[in-house]
Amino acid sequence: MKSVKLNALDGTPIEFINQVVGQGSLKDCYFSPDPSYVVLFYREKQDHDTFERLKKITGTYRQGIFTQAGGDYWQDKFCWPSHVLQHEGRLGLVCPSYDPRYLFTWGSVNQDMFKLKGREKEGKWFASARHRARLLDPREKGDWLKYFRICILLSRSVRRMHAIGLAHSDLSYKNVLIDPVTGSAVIVDVDGLVVPNLYPPQVLGTPDFIAPEVMASNHLAFHDPTRKLPSRQSDQHALAVLIYMYLLYRHPLRGRKVHDPDNPELDEKLAMGDKALFIEHNSDLSNRPNLNDVHPAELPWIDVSRLPAAKLLGPYLYPLVERAFVVGLHQPELRPSADEWEHALVKTVDLLQPCPNPDCEQKWFVFDNTLKPVCPFCQNPFKGLLPVLNFYYARKPGIYSQENYRLMVYHNQYLYPWHVNRQIFANEKLSPDQIKPVGYFVWHQGAWWLVNQTLPDLWDKESDCAIPPGQRVMLKEGGKLLLSREEGGRLAMVQLVQGN
Amino acid sequence: MRRLPVYLVLDSSGSMSGEPLEAVKNGIQILVSSLRQDPYALETAFLSVISFESQAQQLVPLTELSQFQAPPLVANGVTSLGAALSLLADCIQREVKTATQDRKGDWKPLVFLMTDGMPTDDWEHGLARLKTQKIGMMVACGPNHGMDTDLLKQITPHVVTLDVTDSAAFKAFFKWVSASISTGSQKVDTGKEVMGLSELPPPPPEITIVV
Repeated sequence: MKSVKLNALDGTPIEFINQVVGQGSLKDCYFSPDPSYVVLFYREKQDHDTFERLKKITGTYRQGIFTQAGGDYWQDKFCWPSHVLQHEGRLGLVCPSYDPRYLFTWGSVNQDMFKLKGREKEGKWFASARHRARLLDPREKGDWLKYFRICILLSRSVRRMHAIGLAHSDLSYKNVLIDPVTGSAVIVDVDGLVVPNLYPPQVLGTPDFIAPEVMASNHLAFHDPTRKLPSRQSDQHALAVLIYMYLLYRHPLRGRKVHDPDNPELDEKLAMGDKALFIEHNSDLSNRPNLNDVHPAELPWIDVSRLPAAKLLGPYLYPLVERAFVVGLHQPELRPSADEWEHALVKTVDLLQPCPNPDCEQKWFVFDNTLKPVCPFCQNPFKGLLPVLNFYYARKPGIYSQENYRLMVYHNQYLYPWHVNRQIFANEKLSPDQIKPVGYFVWHQGAWWLVNQTLPDLWDKESDCAIPPGQRVMLKEGGKLLLSREEGGRLAMVQLVQGN
Repeated sequence: MRRLPVYLVLDSSGSMSGEPLEAVKNGIQILVSSLRQDPYALETAFLSVISFESQAQQLVPLTELSQFQAPPLVANGVTSLGAALSLLADCIQREVKTATQDRKGDWKPLVFLMTDGMPTDDWEHGLARLKTQKIGMMVACGPNHGMDTDLLKQITPHVVTLDVTDSAAFKAFFKWVSASISTGSQKVDTGKEVMGLSELPPPPPEITIVV
């Protein structure tokens, strides 16, 4: 097959093999002899605005994310177009190739009966309870902790885009590839980016993810001032739906409520638009899923009374879920920001406890503060002694206030700098030193121990003595451990739960 | 659960024997395997196959895509299009769910009709029967010569013609069918820690220690 050599608009030499290898809704995709990138051409003629938008996306905005300090972190979080080109009257883009981890290795069950091997890991495969239960090869599914990681990465990437004034406008599991095996996510199809007040959106979004106000006004003319177009606020809705679906494998707004029995299209528009109602709303029960009208493979996930988000997601995430799908559903300005999601997700990871049942598919669950913890997924009770560290910070010297932040301890769990000091947050800005553990927890000879690796100030109030690096301290009920004397340094108060 | 019902109404009259029928069988395989790679279609699309020759019969009732198995097709007899349309109406009436108070109705069905010759029965009667049913979209596909496409246009405004002996054209048609189905298918306050007998008591709100 003949390859075509040309220069991108910025003069970079580009080469592609002149054979369409894939088709999206707007563009055709071509391979390059260089496996690091692909070339995409719009099938239809594009207007001047699109041309200008693409130049900005590959220029200013790309630099805004990737060439700032710490820009390298984002390289594998976005599949961001690098060059604009023109060939035989068609407008095109150069994009990085997908990392192989985003292509199915095993695909579907029964020797890949659905022939998914090598295809893109579109999020929908993993967010659907039915596909998970009956179709995906178990080796593709990953455990629940990996989905937390995926959601954290997604929130972080959306937060980064929003921070430089961009909106994605079509966030959906089609435009986010995920790998539950390693817990990775990449945002693709970035060329539809919306720059508020400069470049209007080209698409409405993808069903399931379109914000209610956008859905409700989509019959109005494009320039009608009351029409709501995709924006950062609609991105916030889409992000909330993605997080809810990746963790709970059901759609937050798809329940039993029928709005127009005669017209399914109108019913759909109302259910996702003006009349959208959270399936787990705590007082209006009218949209609870009808368990007599669901596919059997959607159980138990679709059963919100058996697996309620409030119990499964815990005290940091559930308030955001309520803000996104109850108060902020029809008041976009009240929706949680990507930054808030990221914080709550990171804190919730510290509440995760490994399920001791080796056959548990989720393998992790959020500690729900009960004295007899049970895995909500496989009903396996926790046996033994379970330590919980409650964090406090110094409001003034010697006076420590509770922080509404806890760390669940399990065997071989690490303690990190962001646990030790409240001024450090687990995100992309951590220095290489800050991602190294400072201590770890072990169950040893019938007791729980914290082993200090590098904490200079670790101090046990109980025995009133310092625990220097290399030494260990036993975790006892009511024990108080000062983790750091620096500004922002935390105190940990130990609670021990005697399991079943 | 809202399903997208898809009816394939296929002519298996004697004139379809040989290459044309093989092409149709092939087409169904292509359709099913490409839809099975679409996670949206796999959740919503349900397929049924109705064939017609001297009589019409539903070879596969409306079936979930992942469970669907292509039926054997044998070419025989004459072209009872009217009977097929009438049977289609019956199947839609029976199989497509309408909404109730607390159950979502199905999407309006998509119908793909393929025929290679002039009907031999009272097709207008069948059409009248079909018109009593709500249909999302119906596409009729006929041969590009030897047939009066005006007749198909009375059944549906969406008529495509192709060369029945051209397997590449068939393949393209079924790819298009698959793409149209894919598009259609896309279509307790716990914030605070409550104190209770079964729960861990809240840790003290403030701790004073001397450092």
